Amino acid sequence: MVLGTEDATPVAFWFSVLPGASVQMDDLVAVRTRKPDGSAVQFYGIVDHVRTRHEGVSFDSDVQDVVAGLLPASVSYAARVLVTRVDPEDFIPPQPGDEVRHATGESLRLALSADKMDYAFAGGLLADGQVLPVNYQFVNGESGGHINISGISGVATKTSYALFLLHSIFRGGVLNTRGEGHNTRALIFNVKGEDLLFLDQPNRRVADKEGTVQGRKGWAQGRYARLGLPVEPFRDVQFLAPPRPGAGAIVPDVEQRAAGVVPFVFTLREFAAGRMLPYVFSDAAASLNLGFVIGNVEEKLARLAGSDTTPYLTVEDWQPEQDVLLDENVRFDELGKTRLETFSQLIAYLEFKLLDQNDGEGDPKWVLKQNQGTLRAFIRRLRGVQKHLSPLVRGDLSPQQAQGYRPDLLRKGIQTTVVDIHKLGAHAQGFVVGVLLRELFEHKEKYGRQDTIFVVLDELNKYAPREGSSPIKDVLLDIAERGRSLGIILIGAQQTASEVERRIVSNAAIRVVGRLDLAEAERPEYRFLPQSFRSRAGILQPGTMLVSQPDVPNPVLVNYPFPAWATRKDEVDDLGGRAAQDVAEDWLR
Amino acid sequence: MRIRLDPWPVDTFEGQLTLKPFAGLVFDVETDRWAAVPTRGIPGSLREVVVVDGKPRMEARLLMDDEAGELHLAAFGAYVVGAVSLCPHGTRQAELQGVRARRVLAYSADVPLEPTRLSPLNPHTGVLDYEPHAFRGRQVEGPRGQVQRLMLDDEHALSQHYASAMPQEEGETDALPETLVLQDGPVRLGRGGSAVVGYVKTLHTDYLGADRIGLLSELRCGERTPILRFRVGDRGGQVSDAEGREQRFTWYVRLCDAPFYQHPLAGIMRLEMHAPEDSAFVPRAVQSVADLSGALLHRLGSKLHKDARAPQNLIPTAALEHAMSRSMGSLELVTRRIRAHLVGQGVLA
Repeated sequence: MVLGTEDATPVAFWFSVLPGASVQMDDLVAVRTRKPDGSAVQFYGIVDHVRTRHEGVSFDSDVQDVVAGLLPASVSYAARVLVTRVDPEDFIPPQPGDEVRHATGESLRLALSADKMDYAFAGGLLADGQVLPVNYQFVNGESGGHINISGISGVATKTSYALFLLHSIFRGGVLNTRGEGHNTRALIFNVKGEDLLFLDQPNRRVADKEGTVQGRKGWAQGRYARLGLPVEPFRDVQFLAPPRPGAGAIVPDVEQRAAGVVPFVFTLREFAAGRMLPYVFSDAAASLNLGFVIGNVEEKLARLAGSDTTPYLTVEDWQPEQDVLLDENVRFDELGKTRLETFSQLIAYLEFKLLDQNDGEGDPKWVLKQNQGTLRAFIRRLRGVQKHLSPLVRGDLSPQQAQGYRPDLLRKGIQTTVVDIHKLGAHAQGFVVGVLLRELFEHKEKYGRQDTIFVVLDELNKYAPREGSSPIKDVLLDIAERGRSLGIILIGAQQTASEVERRIVSNAAIRVVGRLDLAEAERPEYRFLPQSFRSRAGILQPGTMLVSQPDVPNPVLVNYPFPAWATRKDEVDDLGGRAAQDVAEDWLR
Repeated sequence: MRIRLDPWPVDTFEGQLTLKPFAGLVFDVETDRWAAVPTRGIPGSLREVVVVDGKPRMEARLLMDDEAGELHLAAFGAYVVGAVSLCPHGTRQAELQGVRARRVLAYSADVPLEPTRLSPLNPHTGVLDYEPHAFRGRQVEGPRGQVQRLMLDDEHALSQHYASAMPQEEGETDALPETLVLQDGPVRLGRGGSAVVGYVKTLHTDYLGADRIGLLSELRCGERTPILRFRVGDRGGQVSDAEGREQRFTWYVRLCDAPFYQHPLAGIMRLEMHAPEDSAFVPRAVQSVADLSGALLHRLGSKLHKDARAPQNLIPTAALEHAMSRSMGSLELVTRRIRAHLVGQGVLA
């Protein structure tokens, strides 16, 4: 019953829990009150605070007398409710004494505004095992878009939740009801370990883990069944990884996964023609002059690329110092020209043009009166990323190879693309993310919104920091601000939202918070969490998230099941569900 | 000159400073030896202790003119009785029992009045039902006395309801009651035979005399005096039939060691039980109750920092008083309701 000793308002009220009943935080409740004219007003809300205390005693030490059986006292068990919905929208307060009921079934739907959602998918399970619906139209860009996930690494399991959401979107039926199942895709950047390279493999621990949870909760159904999701790994996945450094065969630079990973490269010509140079520099804005040099060189390279299609570039005015044997397949029109076939040759050429030509004056058209210091800084930065980009940007391929290893994010029949960049250095990671996202963005700008692409990117603070600007950040800002109308949806994650560009975080319609550092939780970026949730964010367990969505004014705590896909090599169920001994016997036969 | 502190708060009427000698006769019944009796502890066969108390309150005084132009007195009042049931061995939590306010419209018997129901504006806050009770005479204090009388009757009935029967014959051996009732104030007039002990917190009458009262300040925590017997209303000389027929056992108990700076009677309580007519013996059960009273009351005694009337105002009593005040509701709100009611009736118009 609604308490009369605390203020009851249309947005928050306390209620007392009768003996024998129990209420926990995050339970959803409903209250019905009557106006003087007899019409009813329903309040729906979420319990954000529960407490017990001895009633009728005045001293803290009275508890000893109560326990000793001398002092009669009753335990007052009360809970605070943050109202999520008032229906109809008559903002009168509930009356003390009004009965508070647990919201289930239809009233749960109303409490979570599920009736306002035309298309919803499961965002996890509430504390009592009911499903949290998330409005798909606030995810795919129709009414709003983007998802932002914050939390401490390791315990907040941001990537796991992002993958769970994808799984729920892809396999939960919302796409089928919309008839979009075939052309909704995901692009996932793998930035840590090789965790995401096994998304297409079943997880051998899932049955065990989920069974334990089911047993502990005493449910008849497992969590996947409650969510209406299959216990299956991702389907139609392609894995892309940069090639292993060094000359020779192009093999993906991954350790754990032997097959199924496709290396990807860019040709030097694409690098020049596609104006990828700026993405090498994450701090182009550090000085105005450097930005100017980059812009100029970018322009020159684009011109150099011309309209030819060979993977390499040719230049006339430069001979590398080493003797180059005349290549067998040299083309007639290239006689007297030098091929640039590697990234380091390109740098050497740029160094020549900017610093060495004309007895150290550089080519005036390239230098454009910039001082030597800036030019040297430019070259130094290029040298810094040379090691990582050399295997990735190359001209020593045949056109067929170049075609075959070109990253095709929109390949037919592929639903999920995982791009592994965890082995690259920070600048090279930025380069890959920037280039791929820009390409995607430009493709979408050209062809418009035909389908939805979810881009999963962890460590947003690295790519789009609050301070400074960079081409990668510009791409991400573009996606955040215009991407939703084009069907590019950013599922971004970071440890601390306070360090990410504000416009990216504030553009996310769905915000999710896992375990947070308590000092971080008090920053203004988390003001969407009520105070009690902010303090609770410090103690959230892995597998538990606070989800805030536009339809429900208060965040809701959910948990989500253990991944059905392997997240490590040792989780891969390579026995196909059979006992190890049976498989071994097959081998021995 | 020695300065000592009166244990009662200054707003308590009279405090502990004055003792009026009891005019009647007091008999030794337990022993002739006037010395402290040590506590015996609480036997396991005592299963339950019930502390009973009551509280009256006047809510509004009324003056009524009848058609003849005569003034009559009446009043809205309320009283509440209640009990705390507890296990003397602390094996369960103490519980409040039957704390419920009753509302009384007390009026002089010569003007008939109807029962009055005061309905609230907010349906959640309940109705106030005043039951009319007439009193004899037209004295000013009549309504208050009537409420007090009703409360005492209910308190007595409640005590009788809870208390185990207690044989008072000589020669009973194992007669300790299962349920003992502790009742605030002296035991009420009426039949004995049930395990009701009255406890008197403030001592105003000296039943011991100058030569014996010294023992009280020598009692140590939990010790008691031997049991005495006296006759209620005995003013010395000839005892009339109308009063002083009832006999009482009484003894004194010290609940805690008093600090040196306090009055020597601080922490002393007088207990009282019904006594059979003209008995020269102490029934076994009474003696058992007296034996355990030191240990029991020491356990129930409160602490000074929590209750200004500690230790005599027992922990359950304090809680009970609190609950009783609450059950009568806010006096301010009740008088407001009464005012609104009278306005509605046009009485005040």
